Amino acid sequence: MGLEQFKNRNVGQQNYVMLDLEHTPETGMGKFRQVVRRTFKAELFVGLWVTMREMINALFKGQMHTVKYPFEKLPISPRYRAIHEMLRLLESGHYRCIGCGLCEKICISNCITMDTRYDENQRKEVSEYTINFGRCIFCGYCAEVCPELAIVHGPRYETASEQRASFSLFEDMLTPIDKLNLQQEYDGFGAVTPNADENIKKTPLAY
Amino acid sequence: MSVHNSINTGKPITVTIDGKVCKSTFGKTILQIARENDIYIPTMCYLSKVQPIGSCRMCVVNVEGVDGMILSCQEKAVDGAVITTNNSALFHERQNIMKLYDVNHPLECGVCDKSGECDLQNKTMEFDVDTQEFTARDQHRPVENWGHVSYDPALCIMCEKCVRVSTEITGDEALKVKFGGYGSTIINVKQEKNYASLGEAAAVCPVGALVSTAFKYTSNAWELTKIPSACPHCGGGCQMYYEVKRDRIYRVTNEFEFSTLCGAGRFGFDYANEGVSKDPAAFNAAVEAFKNADSVVFAPQISNEEAMILQKLKEKYGFKLVSHEARAYQKFMAAYSTVTGKHLYNGDLKTLSDSQAVIVLGIRINNDSPTVKYHINMASKWQRARVIYMHPMEDSEIQNIVTQFIKYEVGSEEGVAALLAHTLLEGNEDVTKTLREYLDDLDIGNLSAECNVGEEELDALKKSLLKKRGFSLVVGSDLYMHPRAEQIAKLVALLETYAGFNVICVPPAGNAMGVSLICDLDDSAEGKTVGYNVKGDFTLSALGDGDLDMPALNQQEGTLTTVDKRVVPMHVALPYGGYVLNDIANALGIHAKYTIDYTPMLPVAKGFKKTVFDALDEYFDATGTEHRGYLLASQKVPVKRTLDEIEEIEAFDGAVVYRCDPVEQFSPFTAKSTLLKDEPVMLGSTQFAAAAKLQDGDTITFEIDGISFERLFKIDTEMKGTIALNPTFDMGLSASLLSSYRFSRLVFRKTNNENIGNNDE
Ligand code: SF4
Ligand code: SF4
Ligand code: SF4
Ligand code: SF4
Ligand code: FES
Repeated sequence: MGLEQFKNRNVGQQNYVMLDLEHTPETGMGKFRQVVRRTFKAELFVGLWVTMREMINALFKGQMHTVKYPFEKLPISPRYRAIHEMLRLLESGHYRCIGCGLCEKICISNCITMDTRYDENQRKEVSEYTINFGRCIFCGYCAEVCPELAIVHGPRYETASEQRASFSLFEDMLTPIDKLNLQQEYDGFGAVTPNADENIKKTPLAY
Repeated sequence: MSVHNSINTGKPITVTIDGKVCKSTFGKTILQIARENDIYIPTMCYLSKVQPIGSCRMCVVNVEGVDGMILSCQEKAVDGAVITTNNSALFHERQNIMKLYDVNHPLECGVCDKSGECDLQNKTMEFDVDTQEFTARDQHRPVENWGHVSYDPALCIMCEKCVRVSTEITGDEALKVKFGGYGSTIINVKQEKNYASLGEAAAVCPVGALVSTAFKYTSNAWELTKIPSACPHCGGGCQMYYEVKRDRIYRVTNEFEFSTLCGAGRFGFDYANEGVSKDPAAFNAAVEAFKNADSVVFAPQISNEEAMILQKLKEKYGFKLVSHEARAYQKFMAAYSTVTGKHLYNGDLKTLSDSQAVIVLGIRINNDSPTVKYHINMASKWQRARVIYMHPMEDSEIQNIVTQFIKYEVGSEEGVAALLAHTLLEGNEDVTKTLREYLDDLDIGNLSAECNVGEEELDALKKSLLKKRGFSLVVGSDLYMHPRAEQIAKLVALLETYAGFNVICVPPAGNAMGVSLICDLDDSAEGKTVGYNVKGDFTLSALGDGDLDMPALNQQEGTLTTVDKRVVPMHVALPYGGYVLNDIANALGIHAKYTIDYTPMLPVAKGFKKTVFDALDEYFDATGTEHRGYLLASQKVPVKRTLDEIEEIEAFDGAVVYRCDPVEQFSPFTAKSTLLKDEPVMLGSTQFAAAAKLQDGDTITFEIDGISFERLFKIDTEMKGTIALNPTFDMGLSASLLSSYRFSRLVFRKTNNENIGNNDE
């Protein structure tokens, strides 16, 4: 089994455009002429006009560009690695984590701690799960190793806290059950590749 | 060492495996020779400690001049054979086997307990199984909870290791194969007994099918730190690992390929004295108590080094040192050695398991020493050994291995030993003249009547030993605590000296053997006492209920002396914050930095070596030879073979109780373990109930050696006779104060109140 198929993630399309820029003058005369041309073109007013236009647009046409952080936030790339989220299964609402402990094992800064137990339904239950964000370096290994796409990086990037150790519990990171319909599938680190279907080999069935 | 093992008696042969010339002896399998020479042959069903199972076919090899593939785990190597263990055809064969194992195997490694140490996982990777061509219709196979262990048939690969262990090693014979092609499963035919010994069957399971119920899904194997140690419970000192994470023991595992743990070792691990911090006031009081003590009384659940410290303190302060069980054993062995001329018995467990006849005398073997019982069971299964069990009580738990049960009267052990010596030394020409006269002078008719052992039973015993090779005799604490223990010891020793018996005198409890060798013990305590794990005027206790806390045996380093006459190391599994015995000794002027500084000071005159603790080995090599600690060296003692007249037997009429803990309970420490749940009830037969005028559910109080017991009485329909079993494991700090013969007449008071005896109409 090679790793090539896993490395082909096919993410993003590169559409580069060349900008049409004028040549930089090389002689002293050429530079002088460029200065004179720019000075008398009244470019200052062009700039002032742009400002004026944006002000009018913002104040009277409702096209304000300022992001009122922290009340507003810009959308962030799915590949950004911020505070973790724990996802649920869409069908049953049960948390996806199976308690395999791989994230705990792989974590490079040893900030994941978990405990599991045998529950009444004969399942492995996650009885205790914390991440110490004071130590986390947001490397994304946990999200990448998770076989269930249970632990993922969310878009919340504020990590300031009052203490060096700042623990998040499983419940804090878990999608609230009433917001299950808002849960976004994760495209970032460790997500299935867009062409995953093509790589699947079928297992024969007896029936 | 093993004279009776046919494997070792073979003639030398030379075989070539993968081009390497290997010298070995005839009788060994190709696989064994390969392993001896560090040549890898993959196996799935092979378990070194049982007979080859031959269910997986992974171990196939090619032998030059032989068509087809050969199972190396079963085929004995012949001289000059040229063997290939790996080529593309063999690889393909093995890959196909792994594919077949993987058919419908649940993809649940993510939660499975075995993940990370699973043979199926490992070999699936090793043989590059990345596609599946085989298929079978899957079936619904629910998980079964059997108590201590649970079984998931969907994960089972039907290697049969568990069945073989349950039959050949532990002898509980609970697991069986239910045949049915693809639907074959393992069944537990004795589920209601919930044998803790099935923990060993779970240990050998190569996949996650048979697991410990309490451990299930609590931790991944790779998160646990393995701490090598020895089981301190019964004196077996079996090899074990504590598996620890964040200062908690999650489970106990062992080198299951070569050694075995009983249920107490495996499940009785959470007895640590936790949450202790240093209490200087209590410590000073302890130091004062030692200075003023007239006697120090202690339980045998201590390490050799602690025993050494107590001995040094005795030498300095001159108090009496008392440990009843160890003292009884010490006196017994002293008398024993006057006949054999050596300070220890000659027997060992390996030879026991290779014996063709085993006599068990004066010990309820299944309860007292599981590991010895396992070795008797191995002899029974592998050598078809005759097992003659001599005891006043029948034990239904071992009837599958006992070929002759000889019941004798309570208290008649001396007579029985004399009868045995007389029978087995009859016609023996090595016996000295005086001894011959002594034996001839015995009034056999009278003895046989008094002991209630028929001469025809002895004849049958004698006859059954004809044509057998390798005899073992196992004796136990019924004899050590007997008023005539020393005389019995000499009679038993005759069988070692003259009849070629491999004799094992099973240590009565904990590290009693180590204590008996290291300490200069006294018979009884007087004046002010300091108790260590025993109630005294000042009490040191690892149970957490004394005047000063002490670490339990899984919280300290040290060595134990085992029934195999081996000194084995124990390591710290759990932290301990309080004072240890060595601190007290330091305060009293006996200086050593660590307790283990005493390891090289253990008495050489008693067979100990001057090895420092950190130099003690702890492993089994590829051939299964044990390298744990060292074996005690046999020491010569002066011979003085004088035997006394056999004393009249005191009659034990009416209701009698026998001090005996439930199987896999040994001490207040096992009692503290949450996974070993046994009720401290007195068990008797219906006949006993009638004799004692008791009913099922009665509560009675009575006294033995001044210790008062309150017991709920229950009728056990599997039992017979008028002797009841009285456990002591729940007696905490009083348990080790018992010093008399194990059987006693029951004089009791009924203390039923309305609330208790509500079900007797
Ligand atoms: S992002 Fe990296 S450091 Fe943070 S929890 Fe995951 S594995 Fe650990
Ligand atoms: S890797 Fe994923 S499934 Fe496994 S324990 Fe972590 S979050 Fe749960
Ligand atoms: S038994 Fe082995 S292969 Fe099967 S689920 Fe468990 S770890 Fe995986
Ligand atoms: S339960 Fe385990 S040891 Fe027993 S047959 Fe199945 S796989 Fe083998
Ligand atoms: S190891 Fe030889 S058949 Fe399984």
